[in-house]
Amino acid sequence: MSVIKIENLVRDYGDGKGIFDISFHVNRGEAFGFLGPNGAGKTTTIRHLMGFLKPKSGKCTIDGLDCWSEREKVQARLGYIPGEISFFDDMSGTEFLRFITEYRKIDTQNRMEELLERFELDPKGKIKKMSKGMKQKLGIVAAFMHDPDILILDEPTSGLDPLMQSRFVNLVAEEKEHGKTILMSSHMFEEVERTCDRIGIIRKGKMMAVDSAAALRERHTRSYTVALESEAAAKAFAADFDGICNGEKVTVTTKQSLEEIFMNYYGGEKNDQSGII
Amino acid sequence: MINLALYKREMKGSIKLLIVFSAIITLYVSIIIHMYDPQMMKMLDGFVEVMPEMMSAVGMKANAANLLGFMVSYLYGFILLVFPMVFSILRGNALIAKYVDKGSMVSLAAAPVKRRTIALTQMEVLVSGILLLVFYSTILELICAESGFPGELDIKEFLILNSGLLCLHLLIGSICFLFSCLFSDTKYSIAFGAGIPAFMYVLQMLANVGQDAEKAKYFTFFTLFDPDGIIVGESSAIVGIFVLLAGAIMLYALGIIIFERKDLHI
Repeated sequence: MSVIKIENLVRDYGDGKGIFDISFHVNRGEAFGFLGPNGAGKTTTIRHLMGFLKPKSGKCTIDGLDCWSEREKVQARLGYIPGEISFFDDMSGTEFLRFITEYRKIDTQNRMEELLERFELDPKGKIKKMSKGMKQKLGIVAAFMHDPDILILDEPTSGLDPLMQSRFVNLVAEEKEHGKTILMSSHMFEEVERTCDRIGIIRKGKMMAVDSAAALRERHTRSYTVALESEAAAKAFAADFDGICNGEKVTVTTKQSLEEIFMNYYGGEKNDQSGII
Repeated sequence: MINLALYKREMKGSIKLLIVFSAIITLYVSIIIHMYDPQMMKMLDGFVEVMPEMMSAVGMKANAANLLGFMVSYLYGFILLVFPMVFSILRGNALIAKYVDKGSMVSLAAAPVKRRTIALTQMEVLVSGILLLVFYSTILELICAESGFPGELDIKEFLILNSGLLCLHLLIGSICFLFSCLFSDTKYSIAFGAGIPAFMYVLQMLANVGQDAEKAKYFTFFTLFDPDGIIVGESSAIVGIFVLLAGAIMLYALGIIIFERKDLHI
């Protein structure tokens, strides 16, 4: 059953900027990776889901609730990490977290402390003086501390060091095990590959592909069958090129890595149907 | 309909400004009221009785010769208008537009709190600040007047005068608030939220100069607050107070509706 549903969403900013006829859905308990280069329309799509933007045409729903007109009901179940972290600069991290718990009217003391410990964050200092990574950690704690069942994460690991990135990936994996529905945008392949079941690729405001990570990989597999003059030569060839030997014939499979596949969608002009013909 | 956590946070943000403006008002109000000299005013009153035409030609009216009239001429033309106005401009802009511009509105919008509640809370913070400033001025004026010149002040007229002042500031606040809700860029919210009240005030000053410039009074809402009219009990001056109040309520409501429906690029 799909929890997050986007149908034919359009937002035209002119000059080819915006999102055009975006449709995809995220099932309950699934982690969905939303991949695309900078400026592809990931954040615009997410802003619609958050009820910040009203769809010009098309529709977004979360668990059957309209993301614009019923946004406060949607928000009650949502955890969100914004793509650009900008909290109240005048507060300290501790004050900010306390403010958010009071503002949302939730009780999160244990969970908050556990998250702070996990990300080794000392929130006592003023937010203004925090590094980008610290602000990002604060954003993660604020998004996860009320234990929401739907998570919308806009480039959640930006600014984190590799150790913290890996801790974050583990956190997401745990949440998924607990049946949480996760939409995570990124422009990094490994991150999405490690955490997500399905992947949607967006480029220039259009969905290029939506499929499971495995299927995407399979689609970009090429097999070649080569006939050689003798069986011995075939065997040697198979050993050299990691192929499957069948008499005098050898089948060699070339797998593109996910990264290569993404590069095709990112910059590859052969996949660029909107390019000049 | 109001979020207490947000209200507390924002009131904390108002405190510094409130203290600064209260201090300025305290300074001016106490000095000016103590400059009042009933002996001289009585003498002037006497002149008005003897030769009214002569006195009005030099701008002296009988009603200006009591304590309240004295306060109107020296406090209600500049000090009690401008300082609360600056407060409204600064806070009005900071409460909505600044958060949207800087992106920290995310923390408020990404929560199960209605946008209407957010805007209403911020409006109440602004209105609370205005109320505090006007109440404080009122009490301060009362104390200064009663301690310096016991029994001189017509309390009822004075209170009507200050409710007029309050309504004027509520309207100024509503203009700042409206543009704060309308624009997502502080550049524009300040340009309009500060520019319009300041321009209107300048028009009012022009109109006060008189002659041809007096027509300027038809283009500024400051005309609706008529202290001279209020203290002589003119009914049109009382109507003006209600018009200010009605205008303020409308503009606050409009601001909230706009914020509820607008796209937030945060």
